Formats: sequence, C-alpha cells, structure tokens
Amino acid sequence: MLVSILSSQYARFAALAESWLALGASAFGVWQDGHPLVYWPSSHRLTNPSLRAPLIIQGTEEIGELRVAGITGTAFEQRLRADAELISYLLQLEEELQQITADLVTSQDQQLALYRLTQRMREYVTVEQTLDVVVKETMRILKADVCSMLFVPSSGQDALLVQQPEGFLPDDYLWQLYWQGLATEQPIHLPKVRPTDGPEGLYNLLYLPLRIRNNFMAGLAIINRSGGFGTPDIKLSKAIADQASAQIDRVLLYQEMFDQAKLRTEMDLARRVQLELLPPTLPSIAGLDIYAHSRPASEVGGDFYDFVVQDGRPFIFVIGDVTGKGLSAALLMTMTRTAIHSKAQFMPYPTPEAIMRQSNEDLYNDFTRVGVFATALVGQFEPGSNVLMYANAGHAPVIYRPCDGEAVLLRADSTAIGILPVNPCRNQRLRLGPGDLLVAATDGFTDVRDHDDDLLGIERLLQLVNASHHKSAHEIAEAFFAETEDFGQGGKQDDDQTLVILKGAVS
Amino acid sequence: MEMKTRLVDKVNIVDIIGRFDANTVAPVAAWLEQMTTKPGCRVLVNLSETTFADSTGLATLVQAMKRAQQHQGEIYLCGMRRSVYMTFELTRLDKAFTIFADEEHALKAFAK
Repeated sequence: MLVSILSSQYARFAALAESWLALGASAFGVWQDGHPLVYWPSSHRLTNPSLRAPLIIQGTEEIGELRVAGITGTAFEQRLRADAELISYLLQLEEELQQITADLVTSQDQQLALYRLTQRMREYVTVEQTLDVVVKETMRILKADVCSMLFVPSSGQDALLVQQPEGFLPDDYLWQLYWQGLATEQPIHLPKVRPTDGPEGLYNLLYLPLRIRNNFMAGLAIINRSGGFGTPDIKLSKAIADQASAQIDRVLLYQEMFDQAKLRTEMDLARRVQLELLPPTLPSIAGLDIYAHSRPASEVGGDFYDFVVQDGRPFIFVIGDVTGKGLSAALLMTMTRTAIHSKAQFMPYPTPEAIMRQSNEDLYNDFTRVGVFATALVGQFEPGSNVLMYANAGHAPVIYRPCDGEAVLLRADSTAIGILPVNPCRNQRLRLGPGDLLVAATDGFTDVRDHDDDLLGIERLLQLVNASHHKSAHEIAEAFFAETEDFGQGGKQDDDQTLVILKGAVS
Repeated sequence: MEMKTRLVDKVNIVDIIGRFDANTVAPVAAWLEQMTTKPGCRVLVNLSETTFADSTGLATLVQAMKRAQQHQGEIYLCGMRRSVYMTFELTRLDKAFTIFADEEHALKAFAK
C-alpha cells in the first residue's frame, strides 16, 4: 500500500522532500523493510540518516519509515515525526477506502446473485423445485461444498429433503438440525467441527431455520465453506434464507389456489353429471299428480331420482342417496341409478323387491370396495289400481298421508344397498287413491340446521305435510324448499335436497 | 368433533364426541381402518357423546364393520343417544350392527 500511495502521490512527497532540503537537510526519503523506496536527491540513498520516524497504521503496525540526513535537533525531530503521523493517517484512510470499495463491490455482487436467485426461483411452481434451485444457487453464491434444505409441510404430507451432493451428510443429522432450529428458533453456526464431533467430512456449518407462515417449516444448511462463515457471509446466507421463505410461501399459496380451482372444476363436473342424469321432464301418469326436483348442495352429494315409463308396463319411480360427496358420489350415483333403471326397464316382471335385491347384488362388491352404500326407495304404480307397491332400502324420510288421516313416516324395511350381500327387502303396499299423498325426500331436508345447530328433523316435515296436503304436488314441493330455506336462514346448504311427490288424483 | 381412543380388556375403544359427519369423519375413519385390519380385531365405537351422525359417518362405520368381518374380527356400537339411534333405525342399520346400551354391556359381550 505504501508503494501505491507513493506512486499516486509522488508530487506531494517530492514537495515535502524539497521543503526538508530547503530547511538544510542533505536528503529526504521513505524506506520499507530496510530498503529505500524513494529519496531526494537521487544521489543520496540515506543509508545513514540523522533522523528517522516510523510510519504506523492501526496503532501498532509499522509499514515503513521517513528518513532525513544532514540535520539534527529536537525541532527537526518533532517535525519529521509530525510528517510521519500525517502520512500514516493518510495511509490509514487509504486502506479504509480500499476496504469500503471492496465491500461495495462484494455487496453489489451479492445483490446481483440474490436477484438472479429470486428470478430463477420464480420459474418454478413446486416446493421441491424451489428447494432444488435454492440449494444449487446457495452453493454457487456462497462457494460452499455442500448444501441442504428440509421442508416439513403443515398439511401432514411427506417432508421434502434435498441435499447436494446427495447423501453427503446422513438424513438423521439434517433432521437433528431441523429439530434444534425449531426448538431454539435461532441459526446454528459451527465454525470448526472436529472429526470426532460430527459426521465424516463435515468441517464447518451454518444452519438457518426458515419461518414460513409463522412456523419454522423449513431449514437451510450450508456446509463446508472454504474460509468459514464471516459476518458478511452470514448476512448473505440470511438474505438467501429470507428469499427462499418468501418463495416457498408464494408456491404454497399458488398450490392452494390451484387446488381450489381444481376442486371447483371437479364440483362443476359432478354437478353437471348429477343434473344431466335426472329425468328432463315429469311423467304424465293417469291417476297421479307427480312432481320431482333436486337441488344440489354447494358440495355435490349423491342424490338422484328416476322414472321408468313404458307402454304396457307399470310406472316405476326411484329416489336414492349415495353416501359421500363430490365427483366420487356423482359417479357412484350414476352406477346406482343405471343398475336400478336397467332392472326396472328390462326385467320381465319387475317388482320393487326384485329390482332392489338384484341391484344390491350388482353393486354390493363395488360398494364394499369403496366403502359406500346407497339408500333407495323404489315404487311401482299400476294406473287405475289406486295401489302403490314399494320397497325401501334404508331410505328416509318417506312420508305418507292418506286423504283421511295424519301424515306418518314410512320406515324402511331393509338396510341400504351395499350393506348386506343379500338385501332382505319386501314389497309393501299402500293405497294411493285420490287425495292420498306420498312424499319421498332425502336427508338433505331433515339435516338442515338452524343458527342454534338444531336439526329440521322429521316431526317438522310431518307437520308440513299435514298443513299442505290439499295443495298440488308442485306446491307441496315448493312448501318443502321454502321451509328448509326458512329454517336454515339462508345458510350454506350442506347436502343435496331431492324429493319426489306422488299425489293420488282422479284419473 | 373430538375422538378419544382407549384399550380396555383387549378391546380397542373409540369415543366420538360431537358431530360425526362428512366434515369430521377423517380421523375416525383412519383409526378404524388401522384397527379393523388386524386379524381377530375387537373394536368398540362408543357413541354416547355423539350428537349427530350423517350418512358419511354411517358409511364409515359400515366400512369398518365389513373390514372387521373380512379379518374375522368384531365391531360393536354402544351408548347411542335417541337422535343418533333414530338415524340407525331409519336406515335399518340397527339390523346390521350389534348395538349395546352402554360400554359395560358391550365389553361383557366381547368377554364371552
């Protein structure tokens, strides 16, 4: 440094030498390590000076000396020492300036590296890809031999562990760092790891726990950095960790939005499947006033109803509910509806009992595999007979109100489809003449809750049937939907609400 | 919903507290799957503090019952409140399950 300042400030040193020569000195020069660096006049090497003053920086470090020849005395001695102190101070400032310049350049390099890291991370849309790029870029930016990241999702999914090069440190050791970071919420800095104190090959380490959504869900381990981790390296590592936290946060948010969009698409598809399979029109059967409607819930369930009308064969209707929600419920509902419909349509002599038993046989194994069941009511009406024959496999609520009596709940006579290998249902018979009323609904009505979490329940539906029995099938259905809406006070509808109403009429 | 599990006289018991429906069924389903796949399993579902069961809750119990049967095990239910028992009655599941009034009677039946 002394040489460089002599080069850059040569004219000033020459002026200083001239002033000494003017004072009567025979020579003035600067020496370092016992050798002359510069001297005036050029013929005098100052090997035997009369005065000497050291150039000292940072309090103790002697980096050279000023020499004068040909004059002596306390005043000259003080003057030379003062010159040396001034030059020393300038040297000190020069050194600090060089350090600041070097730091600035390093800082700019680091900012650029961080910017590149951020840009690169944005190209990736999964947490695993983000961990990969952070590990690789951290190794490059910090010139570390090994780097690792561990991410533990809060959703209970499997943890992600990335290490470059793979398997350098055992997974157990990286997990230990994670748990320690989680417990202390502080970085772990091991500046010098002795071979006996850590896994083979490890000589230094910096571990930073990453806070994501207020939880320490991840950690960044930077391993074996040549030269160790100084303050600027630790600062840079923390900046990388902060960037990685923010990016993982963004990725998680993106994934949640993606999952929600996927779920919405699935729900829309399920709702379309469900609605498309319902009969497009209501049948016209002599001696019956018929109305049916299904109102899908926000999360689609497995409700359905169906009519089978064929010349020369009795009219058959079905209402059912497959357990579960979403697309799976919609698909299972399709299976159930198809199984029942095909039997009702093609059996030589269909009866509700036979349709139900055979449908149960068809569906039992599949339903057992996926762990669902389906409640169903199958009814059969011969125009002119005034009699409804039905079989009920675990379906509720089914309400009957004779024209001359009170509404009663018709209890199922067998378990739902898919519960027992052989369904023990039997044909039941009801009078369904003019004024007699049958309301078959799904549990989406009875399970509606009010703001006190009370259920609408069956009693209220029985009262509703008694109060509205004089109305048409369509009007009674409207009364049901109005009652549930009123009871639920416009809250979210948790389950499908489906009903089929048959009211005996004069043919 | 809250679930508690216990082991009494070699019977794995789960207490289901609160609503047992589509929104809360997952942890119970996971526990039942684990328990009922053990050969000769003996599982008791205590519903004395269950306030409501919907069809998804019932389907979970049906699935556990079928699985237990496949593994030569048994699953009993006990302690149902009136409203929950009515759901079993309406769907005729009272015919499919072995149901006891309380835990004591169920444990005695396992001991036989």
